[in-house]
Amino acid sequence: MRLSLDTEDNRPIYIQIVDEVRRGLARGTLGPEDPLPSVRELAASLRINPRTVMQAYAALEREGVVYVQRGKGTYVSADVRPDERERPQLAREVARRAMREARRSGLDPGDLIGALKELAEDPGPDGKEGKG
Amino acid sequence: MRTPPLAPTLPVDMGEGPFALTTDGATKRYGSIRALDGLNLKVPFGAVYVLVGPNGAGKTTLLQVLMNLKRANKGQVSVLGMDARREGPRVRAQIGYVPEEHRLGYPWMKVGRLLEHCSVYHPTWDWDYANQLVSLLEIDRERKCGHLSKGNVRRVQLLLALAHRPTLLLLDEPTDGLDHVARDRTLGLLAGHLADTTTTALISTHRVYEIERLVDHVGVIRDGRLLGQVPLEDLRRMLRRYSADVPEGQEPREWEMEGMVALRPGLGRAVEWTVWGEEERVVTDLTVAGATVRDCAPLTVDEAATALLSTWEAS
Repeated sequence: MRLSLDTEDNRPIYIQIVDEVRRGLARGTLGPEDPLPSVRELAASLRINPRTVMQAYAALEREGVVYVQRGKGTYVSADVRPDERERPQLAREVARRAMREARRSGLDPGDLIGALKELAEDPGPDGKEGKG
Repeated sequence: MRTPPLAPTLPVDMGEGPFALTTDGATKRYGSIRALDGLNLKVPFGAVYVLVGPNGAGKTTLLQVLMNLKRANKGQVSVLGMDARREGPRVRAQIGYVPEEHRLGYPWMKVGRLLEHCSVYHPTWDWDYANQLVSLLEIDRERKCGHLSKGNVRRVQLLLALAHRPTLLLLDEPTDGLDHVARDRTLGLLAGHLADTTTTALISTHRVYEIERLVDHVGVIRDGRLLGQVPLEDLRRMLRRYSADVPEGQEPREWEMEGMVALRPGLGRAVEWTVWGEEERVVTDLTVAGATVRDCAPLTVDEAATALLSTWEAS
């Protein structure tokens, strides 16, 4: 599993890792019983403190998204339902960030919803450039 | 950026420990200059503690005193439960140390020979790992130590610090002189080391952004004293940047408040405050004064260091 972090994202790193795993599930690049990288592997590849990885995996385990097999590693739970849980959760997270950006810009939720509806109907030239 | 007249006071109390490193009133004088002036360092076991401060603040001296390469004139220095001043050699054998200076002890020695020489001083030296480090850091064993460039000396120093798998790392500007690839690999090596070995690390650096994601404690040093030492989560919670709009006709000057670190006017009536304090209190203060708070966000460690040091510089 490739995992990367956004340097512009100022949320705690463990939350970004949790989100990245959710994103993998929502997109279908990560499925039931797939292994997650070991703590060492992920910490070394992202150049982050291993405790941050442990914190992220513990949060995912508490949510039932992954399970830990002692001595073997961390795996995606067999019964994950990305459409029922991860997708709505991710959508809320994206919306929360958009709301925050809107607030910074002096917009209210109505402005944002209006613009979203418009964009959904006709993404325009910018829509095609967006990353998946 | 304008700075306020009163700099905030940061906490230095780190609770009860246990601590891997402590100094209690450590003072080091060079003639009439006090490089360390009653410094109380506390680094918890397993912490990755970054030490930030201006040039000449005492960072290098502090690391040297912990290594007992320099003796403190006054105060207690404890390293892994040992008195650094009495048990210098035992202390040093357990530490992975990268000195500030880019110099290896024996200029006439080939790097390969130097590794063999140094391995003897560390009972825990791991040759398999040392060989891995040689290839990862692209170190040439056949070169003479005295002929190495600054960056290549640093690579060898990093190898010497890590190859005995120490539980304590003291790193003085560890990435200084390294090129992009070597720096990136070094950060990966440090993260891997932390995963393999329960390690406490004290890192002094001016490039905090490089190790931002490895760090979990921050100490700010100036004039030989610690002006603050806090767990990273406290720093992220307490030191924040608030974007707000102020009422028309009011000058940002009138908006100085408790714990203010920096104030930067934005476009028109927008102002950005950096304040040390509980978010709720700061937002209340701003709102009561008539401002509309648009956003509140934590700072990176690098931004925090810059903001705090600028404030103290001015006061």
